[in-house]
Amino acid sequence: MPTILDVVNLTKTYDNNVQAVKGISFSVNSGEVFGILGPNGAGKTTTLEMIEGLRQITSGDVILDGIKTADQPYLVKQRIGIQLQSSAFFQNLKLTELLEMFADLYGSTINALDLLADVGLKDKAHFLVKNLSGGQKQRFSIATTLVNRPVIVFLDEPTTGLDPQARRNLWDLINQIKSRGTTVIITTHYMEEAKFLCDRVAIMDDGKIVALDSPEQLIRQLLGRGFKAHTEVPPATLDDVFIDLTGKILRD
Amino acid sequence: MNQNTRSLLALTKASLKMYYRNKGAIVFTLLIPIALLSIFGFLSRGRGTSIQIGLTNHASGEVSKQFIEKLKGIKAFDTKEITEEAAAVELGKGNLDLQIIVPENFGVMENDKLLQSSIQTRFNKAKPQSGQIANLAIVEIVSNLDRQLTHSPSTLDVKSEGVTTNNLGYFDFILPGILSMTIMQLGIFGVAFGFVAMKASGALRRLQATPVHPVYFVFAQAFVRLLVALANAFILVGMGTYFFGFHMMGSYFNFALVCIIGILIFLGFGFAIAGWAKDETQVAPVANLIQLPMLLLSGIFFPRDGFPSWLKTITDYFPLTYVSHSLRKIANEGVSLVDLPVDFIGMSVWLVIVYFVAVRVFKWE
Repeated sequence: MPTILDVVNLTKTYDNNVQAVKGISFSVNSGEVFGILGPNGAGKTTTLEMIEGLRQITSGDVILDGIKTADQPYLVKQRIGIQLQSSAFFQNLKLTELLEMFADLYGSTINALDLLADVGLKDKAHFLVKNLSGGQKQRFSIATTLVNRPVIVFLDEPTTGLDPQARRNLWDLINQIKSRGTTVIITTHYMEEAKFLCDRVAIMDDGKIVALDSPEQLIRQLLGRGFKAHTEVPPATLDDVFIDLTGKILRD
Repeated sequence: MNQNTRSLLALTKASLKMYYRNKGAIVFTLLIPIALLSIFGFLSRGRGTSIQIGLTNHASGEVSKQFIEKLKGIKAFDTKEITEEAAAVELGKGNLDLQIIVPENFGVMENDKLLQSSIQTRFNKAKPQSGQIANLAIVEIVSNLDRQLTHSPSTLDVKSEGVTTNNLGYFDFILPGILSMTIMQLGIFGVAFGFVAMKASGALRRLQATPVHPVYFVFAQAFVRLLVALANAFILVGMGTYFFGFHMMGSYFNFALVCIIGILIFLGFGFAIAGWAKDETQVAPVANLIQLPMLLLSGIFFPRDGFPSWLKTITDYFPLTYVSHSLRKIANEGVSLVDLPVDFIGMSVWLVIVYFVAVRVFKWE
């Protein structure tokens, strides 16, 4: 499968000599959902921001869709969609107005209502962002990353703080984006989310990648090393119970 | 369309919408200046330069009619016929500058001879100048009448020619002051709080995730403030001229030019504060520290003539002093910006200083 992103020996050292990313290398295949997992402070967001051209690269290379991020950050930004960890938007602008503004910044033409329909927010077209619920905000935030028909969409912890209904709804949306051939790179703290969404995951700790494979393969490897879970894993989880009792309908 | 132009246009459109949907901004930068202007306008209305005279006529002859006609013909006087008692009350209240009582026997002839009679005048001691001036004029009218009636030739005469004065009042002083105050607030408060809020919330960071350099957003925000400043100038001068008799002696172009330079200076302050501060709590004290002294000491509401000389020297260098002074000179005296080199150089130096500092302290995050 062709790669759309190649990261080679990427390093980030901050001014205070803290090395946040310590020479990592990986490739992302075109059309896959790639997860970057790891505890807080592992260097996930720093890695993403260097790939996106938002943060200066200390050393190493990022080649995205054939372009070196360090050389042409603006050209890279033109081809990707970025959802930041804490997404905020200009106040007092309606959803359609914000989407149209973002489209203009990329020089692309969109039908704002269609795009909102794609993320299930058509009936909120004339709302302000501050009047949306948490899940709606995240869906809108994803919509803003799609205005330029990007080759890669970066989602930094998109489901943090959402209720199970909203989270599952967002999973559907991410799968929908994937089904159109768009590559998705996602960070998350939720392992069941990574298992559900990601074709492959890179697990980071202390600025390094400690494992990189498909979730199933990683589990198999762990079991192969003789690992046994402390308790018998029931065929259903508490999450399943919750959804069974409260339904899948969004509570926005 | 060029992509940079398209981006700038999109951000300007967004900034404009954000501005007019922000009720606080509209109140502070549009409604309060209009309200202030109206208050000062109504206060100074009717308190023009004309001298208020209350006349009581007890005589009935031709001579007294002539006298009243002459008195009413003087444009500087606003002469009302009123009873003696009412005039006394009005004089006490300060609504009249001079009371005139024409006696019954004024100009009455008896046996071909004019009866001895005297016009009685009383003036308001609180405003002695107006009363005394009016009094002199009346003495002049009466002695002329006297000469006419007695056919004695006038040997000594004063020929005076009226000089057109601008007839400037306090309102003409206050309008440029209110306008400069508005421009300052628009630049400093109007930009600093909003911009730092976008910085703190991450909205600015979201913009950095697009292919557009965020400096375009700074331009868009500045451009909208510039438009609002010019709209303010247009509304305040328009209202002032139409409703309250504001005198614009100079060119509108020069006046607008100073408004533009002024808003650019104060936008520089605003962006320097917003660029330096991390959140709103840091903006308020710094913005107030810069604004308050200018608001009180730049002579926008009252002249700085009464200041002790050291304070006057310090406040000479305030950017708001330069802006309000040049606006006032252009409006009140009809000079052009070229005739105001000190103000012009002062404003230019401030422009350089604020943008140098702004660029130095500015942080996007």
